[in-house]
Amino acid sequence: MPAYKAPLRDMRFVFHELHQADTLLAGLPGYEELSADLIDAVLEQAGTICEEVLAPLNRQGDEHGCLFENGVVRTPPGFKQAYDLFRQNGWTGFACAPEDGGQGLPKAVNSLVEEMICSANLSFGMYPGLSHGAYLTIRRWGREDLKKTYLPRLAEGAWSGTMCLTEPQCGTDLGLVRTRAVPQDDGSFRITGTKIFISAGEHDLTDNIIHLVLARLPGAPKGIKGISLFLVPKFQVGDDGSVGAGNGVSCGAIEHKMGIKASSTCVINFDDARGWMLGEPNKGMRAMFTMMNGARLEVGIQGLGIAEAAYQGAVTYARERLQGRSLSGAKHPDKAADPIIVHPEVRRNLLTIRAGVEGCRALGAWVGLQLDVSHHHPDPQTRQNADDLVALLTPVVKAMFTDFGFEAANLGVQVFGGHGYIREHGMEQLVRDARITQIYEGTNGVQALDLVGRKMGAHAGRYLRQFFHPLAAMIEARIEDETLGPYAQPLAKAFVRLQQATAQIARAGMVKPDEAGAAASDYLRLFGLVALGYMWLRMVETALPKAGGAEDGDGFYSAKLNTARFFFDRMLPQTAGLFQAIMAGGASLMTFDETWF
Amino acid sequence: MDGVIKKVGVIGAGVMGAGIAAQVANAGVPVVLLDVVPDGAAKAVEKMLKTDPAPFMSKAAARLITAGNTERDFDLLADCDWIVEAVIERLDVKLQLYARLEAVRKAGSVVSSNTSTIPLAKLTEGLPERFAADFCITHFFNPPRYMRLLEVVKGRHTRADAVAAVSRFADLKLGKSVVSCKDSPGFIANRLGVFWISCAVVEAFDQGLEVEEVDAVIGKPMGFPKTGVFGLIDLVGLDLMPHVMASMVGLLPAEDPLQAYRREQPLTARMIAEGYTGRKGKGGFYRLNRAGGGKVKEAISLATGDYRPEIKPDLDLPRDLKALLTQGDKAGRYAWRVLSRTLAYAASLVPEAADDIAAVDEAMRLGYAWKFGPFELIDKLGAAWLSERLAADGQPVPALLRQAGNRSFYRVDQGRLQFLGTDDGYHDLMRPEGVLLLADIKRVSQPVLKNGSASLWDIGDGVACFEFTSKMNALDPDTITLLGKSIKAVARQFKALVIYNEGSNFSAGANLGLVLFAANIAAWTEIEQLVAGGQETYKALKYAPFPVVGAPAGLALGGGCEILLHCDAVQAHAETYIGLVECGVGLVPAWGGCKEMLHRWAGLGRLPKGPMPPVAKVFETISTATVAKSAAEAKELLFFRPTDGVTMNRDRLLADAKARALELAADYTPPAAPELTLPGPSAGVGLKMAAEGFHRRGLATNHDLVVAGELATVLSGDDADATRPLGEDRLLELERAAFMRLLRHPATLARIESILETGKPLRN
Repeated sequence: MPAYKAPLRDMRFVFHELHQADTLLAGLPGYEELSADLIDAVLEQAGTICEEVLAPLNRQGDEHGCLFENGVVRTPPGFKQAYDLFRQNGWTGFACAPEDGGQGLPKAVNSLVEEMICSANLSFGMYPGLSHGAYLTIRRWGREDLKKTYLPRLAEGAWSGTMCLTEPQCGTDLGLVRTRAVPQDDGSFRITGTKIFISAGEHDLTDNIIHLVLARLPGAPKGIKGISLFLVPKFQVGDDGSVGAGNGVSCGAIEHKMGIKASSTCVINFDDARGWMLGEPNKGMRAMFTMMNGARLEVGIQGLGIAEAAYQGAVTYARERLQGRSLSGAKHPDKAADPIIVHPEVRRNLLTIRAGVEGCRALGAWVGLQLDVSHHHPDPQTRQNADDLVALLTPVVKAMFTDFGFEAANLGVQVFGGHGYIREHGMEQLVRDARITQIYEGTNGVQALDLVGRKMGAHAGRYLRQFFHPLAAMIEARIEDETLGPYAQPLAKAFVRLQQATAQIARAGMVKPDEAGAAASDYLRLFGLVALGYMWLRMVETALPKAGGAEDGDGFYSAKLNTARFFFDRMLPQTAGLFQAIMAGGASLMTFDETWF
Repeated sequence: MDGVIKKVGVIGAGVMGAGIAAQVANAGVPVVLLDVVPDGAAKAVEKMLKTDPAPFMSKAAARLITAGNTERDFDLLADCDWIVEAVIERLDVKLQLYARLEAVRKAGSVVSSNTSTIPLAKLTEGLPERFAADFCITHFFNPPRYMRLLEVVKGRHTRADAVAAVSRFADLKLGKSVVSCKDSPGFIANRLGVFWISCAVVEAFDQGLEVEEVDAVIGKPMGFPKTGVFGLIDLVGLDLMPHVMASMVGLLPAEDPLQAYRREQPLTARMIAEGYTGRKGKGGFYRLNRAGGGKVKEAISLATGDYRPEIKPDLDLPRDLKALLTQGDKAGRYAWRVLSRTLAYAASLVPEAADDIAAVDEAMRLGYAWKFGPFELIDKLGAAWLSERLAADGQPVPALLRQAGNRSFYRVDQGRLQFLGTDDGYHDLMRPEGVLLLADIKRVSQPVLKNGSASLWDIGDGVACFEFTSKMNALDPDTITLLGKSIKAVARQFKALVIYNEGSNFSAGANLGLVLFAANIAAWTEIEQLVAGGQETYKALKYAPFPVVGAPAGLALGGGCEILLHCDAVQAHAETYIGLVECGVGLVPAWGGCKEMLHRWAGLGRLPKGPMPPVAKVFETISTATVAKSAAEAKELLFFRPTDGVTMNRDRLLADAKARALELAADYTPPAAPELTLPGPSAGVGLKMAAEGFHRRGLATNHDLVVAGELATVLSGDDADATRPLGEDRLLELERAAFMRLLRHPATLARIESILETGKPLRN
């Protein structure tokens, strides 16, 4: 596997030129001081630590995996040192509030940093990633004293966090949670139960681990309406924040997994462990969702990170590997054979990854920025609009990005041929690591249901407006344009398909929910492709004036236009097939008798 | 006497008496209203002119009331054909009054009492035979204009034709459904209604439920009004309940099940003493706490007796009634307890209080607004199932239930709806003569055409009926499609078309949910096609080669109003509430509503000459989203023509509309296409300036101004010129363009969303 290079040039393009993020962020209270230069400096530093510290650890982490002995989990060699360095450089508190000792950088910048971490070392990224989720949840729902004790330590990375949702009998359906929480006179609770699949549930990187646990109060209503959320530290915490004796939390085992082997995935037992409630009784899901929406976007970014890594590996290999001759005659007669990058098929693989990566990066940054707007903008209506857009696109980002990450990793292996299948080059690791992102934080099937079931119909389609209206307006304004028209026209066709499919699913789903369910995954993909198309049209508009000019010395803008052409010619047409599949309805799925399977 | 009532007298100008007099006036019949207080009747009329909901259907109706005093003006009753007594519930007062009446009233006139608590037998005691023969009880429900139930009790000596005359008048003129009752305490509706309320209250205290929980269980799941029980008591008045209860149990035998629920609750007593008598007092079980300038919805906790913020009940309420009654949790146990006792009590009232089960069901549907009568509810559960469960619960099983056994109380036999009689046989449910119900027709026939949103029926004699069938009768693309097909089918196979349905509302307009969704996904082309399609189809309806009669009842708003504007004639239920309310959701009428209203005011309005006055009048009506609060008011606003008909009784609407359609079919030519002379741009500017004036005075919001501007453009004819009349297609084009511009406006979308989600208009 070649060395990872942070894609800073494209990030700057997306952030500054496409989204004009510095101007947008500087208009939000709290971010007035943010400049393009500052953001660039941060990205550069993040790139350095990812390139120099995290990426080199990735393969040995996979080979070594985590070790479990006597209830203790040891991360692979080098992880602890890397984590300490990561911490010392302030990356754990990067997006935390200044009053908690963090640097208060916006979510959108954090997304770019996360992409780099995930490209370099997905397993490593799990530990600080989960801590940040816990940080946000405690900050939003915790009592003042809890916040005072826990937030600074999570921000500085001295402690880490987890999300304890899954139990042996319940994954997607959290209404089945059995873990119990018994109230105590002092306002605390005693938690008892077993949680499984807990990422970063136990490890040797931090002094304490703060578990956020879903559990049921005595006499709580059945199902999802009877779940509460609790903060449960691994070790007891003194009033001064000192770490004391054990708190009845133990690791029972770690899982042996297909990928992300350096991330510890644990069975965590709570035995009368002392904890505190976050949010209100029986409103645990609501509290958990603040974490889950952010977490879903982050998992999407993981897919993007993997795809970028696959692209870099595949391109380098395709340039170096000499095999056969170009179909149109030798391109490098001086060499024994042409590099495989001359072949249309190899180029198709590379461009598919590249067009996807750059489109997803643009879309992810848009959603990240809107997330910041939804939290910080002074105007409530603007906040609401941004919130609507984020709610709508969260399942799309999560599912499409991770499906794409897996596909990209696969294409990367394909470019390597047999050398991709062996472990040495690290390409097969990307396939295995990517696979989990399609599953956890709500499987991609569940994301699709979220999109058609919750997001599409909410407020008679109001969430849709924040995406459909700007896109419709853009197409309307560009379709007759001499230079942009050729890009806008295929997008217009795909958009009509999306509109018709949306109307069809809304109509059919109202009468027969199975119809919406049957269409959901294809619809999410259709939606995602149109969203990428929107980003590509905007990128074309941004790059056009600069392509071939003085700023295009490295061919960045020309390449951008060419990648756009590839996307509109070769990828967007998939919408036609998806559209037909959706419009065909779900009868063939549901008439199939259960016994015939 | 010929049995025709041409003049009515009402004695006692309290809420009931005055309301009855108003309804008589609403029917266009002169009425004398007398009160013991010298100016009482005149003041009551004055007050009613300001009451909301209004007792009068139009202010003009008030002029039919002659107000007077029972001392000075008693002679005014001399030429009344029917005299209704609605004075205080005291036997001595009533008897004295009746004695005086005997000296004044003309031979053959009918006297009735609106008593709710005094047995008929006592009311005729000591009075001459002539009086007893002319006397009956007519028990109206409050408010008399709106409540469709009239309970009539006939005495042993009452002349049959006296009761017939009053019943006919009540049916045809006052629009009431007459249910005949036995002379038993509380008659039917209050007897069962009071039992139901008392049972629900006592059980709530006993089983430790909160008022919100009770109302959530008692309301929607059982088809009772969503006010539930405590909300209803707040409406009626907490202080009234003990009186009603006392008078009823005083008359009932000791073994009557109602006696068991006569229990004074200390909390209720305290509330009454402290002035918490309900909505008329400081609040009731629910109140709005305005302390500290706030507005907090509160409810009293039955457990603690203190007010606290309203809670959202956390109860599992399945849609299936039987599932609720058997689910065994708090909600289920309570629901079973209240409903089983209430239904058993209902079964015990036949034949003691009512001749048959249909009378009880009708009384509860119309007097207490139950969606289903008690016997319809029993049929949902199964009489055998209920009997079994009652027995298992240690409750007596009423004879009627036992008798029903495995059978249902209602059945459909060869398309005829039948009920189980006390003679153990099924009998056809008889409709009064002249009543035509689509529901009955539908039971015995197949639709001529049908899709998911509408149907076309053959209602006999060459007349077809177009029925909306979508949820809430909202108009959608399917409605328009079927209407288009129906126009062709009627032209081929029928003489005339009636547009009518038996929903609680004719139609509250286009399906805004669909419109909003389509707008949210920027499906502008599809929306414009829908608008244009509606315009074309309504136009085709107007110029069809057969007459079309619209027959609305309840709400007829937006697109529901516009379809009526395109009919040749309207036969409206008196309680029709019609208007073009599009501006309220940030739109303008675009299915020809602007065009038709301009045409009407230009032709029928009594206005000064010139193109401007009709435009100004229509602008005023539409921009303020004015809704006529009765058919009479609709005529004043020209939503209906002066020649359009009004039917007082809801059940007679279809028959009247059909008759009107046949009348028109005898010699029908479609109307000629109008030409409209519109004033053009300067008028548009003038109207916009007027709107800006309202805006400056804070009477119009920012978006009101935008909407009014678009409306002004349409109504003034945009670039029209008063010397060159416009064809109606130009108006339709203007309507459509303005509609599409407004629909792209976020403020319009926010208004539509608010209406859909909260039912409340957004003033943005």
